[in-house]
Amino acid sequence: MKLELGIIPINDIQFGAESKVENGTIYVNADELKALILEDENLKSVELDIARPGESVRIMPVKDVIEPRVKVSGEGAMFPGMISKVAPVGSGRTNVLRGSAVVTTGKIVGFQEGIIDMTGEGSKYTPFSKLNNLVVVCEPIDGLAKHAHEKAVRMAGLKTADYIGKLAKDIVAEEVETFETVSVKEGIEKWPELPRIGYVLMLQSQGLMHDTYVYGVDAKQSLSTIIMPTEIMDGAIVSGNCVSACDKNTTYHHLNNPVIRDLFAQHGKTLNFVGVIITNENVYLADKMRSSDWSSKLCEWLGLDGAIVSQEGFGNPDTDLIMNCKKIEGKGVKTVIITDEYAGRDGASQSLADADAAANAVVTGGNANEVIHLPKMDKVIGYPEVADIIAGGFDGSLQADGSIVAELQVITGATNEMGFNPLSAR
Amino acid sequence: MYRIITNNQMCLVKYGDQIQVEYLDGQSYMDVLVKVRDYIQNGWCLETHPMTGSLKPNQTPYKSVMVSDRPVDKEEFYQQEITIENGITACRKFQSIRKTPDWPQNLLEDFQAVDLSLIEGAIQKIL
Repeated sequence: MKLELGIIPINDIQFGAESKVENGTIYVNADELKALILEDENLKSVELDIARPGESVRIMPVKDVIEPRVKVSGEGAMFPGMISKVAPVGSGRTNVLRGSAVVTTGKIVGFQEGIIDMTGEGSKYTPFSKLNNLVVVCEPIDGLAKHAHEKAVRMAGLKTADYIGKLAKDIVAEEVETFETVSVKEGIEKWPELPRIGYVLMLQSQGLMHDTYVYGVDAKQSLSTIIMPTEIMDGAIVSGNCVSACDKNTTYHHLNNPVIRDLFAQHGKTLNFVGVIITNENVYLADKMRSSDWSSKLCEWLGLDGAIVSQEGFGNPDTDLIMNCKKIEGKGVKTVIITDEYAGRDGASQSLADADAAANAVVTGGNANEVIHLPKMDKVIGYPEVADIIAGGFDGSLQADGSIVAELQVITGATNEMGFNPLSAR
Repeated sequence: MYRIITNNQMCLVKYGDQIQVEYLDGQSYMDVLVKVRDYIQNGWCLETHPMTGSLKPNQTPYKSVMVSDRPVDKEEFYQQEITIENGITACRKFQSIRKTPDWPQNLLEDFQAVDLSLIEGAIQKIL
């Protein structure tokens, strides 16, 4: 399966009379887009705003971040099973509005999480401060149930990204990146001397605000399975995970999975990137056993020499991570795991809620308990009053001068467990 | 036989007449974990992970865990004992950083709703 990504660099977003992409700027007709979002009868109102790199703007609480893309050729459309019909994506050409994102915010529950600062100390920790962000602030109808509210915000984000992406369907890309996965047989014939490496991608799948969707299927309902890496680049995996801002995988992370990009960069040179195994993180221990049995079995069956395993979220996924690692190593496949740490504010406490001697190659995304001071911003998009009740915040987090003292875990993407962030340790 | 150990009233109200619930009224997240450890040490089987969800143990006051009387062998017992001890250690770590705030009622209800959703995935498998 071969996919070309046509890169269209974006330097700015502006509101305008006509929605279009021109000379690196996205122009948005706000009324037209609002009308599209408000087709969802569960939403009472929606506001749109723009946050650019370097501006004194804070976005909170962030639910999801999505990169606008559009299928130019090949089967299917973006986000299959969610906002387009089920069809196998991952081949042909997809245009990418690189440098832009759609950010959703909404008060689904009273306690909140997820800050993106566009400048200052906090901006160093989130990759989304470097993007031109179109922010969608959704208000639900009165009395809407939490599950329905979460879904409405999630779908509003996808619809907005799709709307923006489609503006770039006929634009000639400035640069084209090509990614190809060959069949197992062809890979063995082409690169007999190269180590066979796979990627085990763990997906959060536990319930309200803790879910991930694959071609529209709730990941907790599925067994571990194989997916082509280019399918993920076309939106086959969508985040419905709004908890633990620092180490959740937004839809943007899935579309731009750094493990996949790095493995492709070495594909055919130092290794043979065989493919991606997706597996879930359910609450039921028997599910954890079953899913990790299955992912290790798939690693063995694919004849892998090595596997990279990435985690999502805090707490019990540590158990899934260690189960995957131990069982995959048990099949004779060398394993590297990617996680993050809750090691206390001084970094001295035990980092994970589980461990095993087989986990002898670990990459960390940073310590989420580290305390940071976020300066006051001139403008807040979303709901500033939630700073005191944000994960990693505390009573008094929101200072009188508008600054915030909190743990790193408040920042969206700060300790991402795919490694999509600058923090790590040696 | 399955049993839910919980301090979440919403869980008791919704499932109390369909499944056995030991309701720890007014007790803490840590109290639930310690009670679950008692069950494990009395030969019960841990069915759901004690640290479900990504909410931190000093953030949500609520926890619901499922146990059963399914027989466990020695290896399973050790694994489950380690899992619950790791959960208790993590809870203690977070409580030492900062105690769970005294949340207003509307937030308590939201935390209850999320905890209920997390345990529901398991309850629906056995009903």
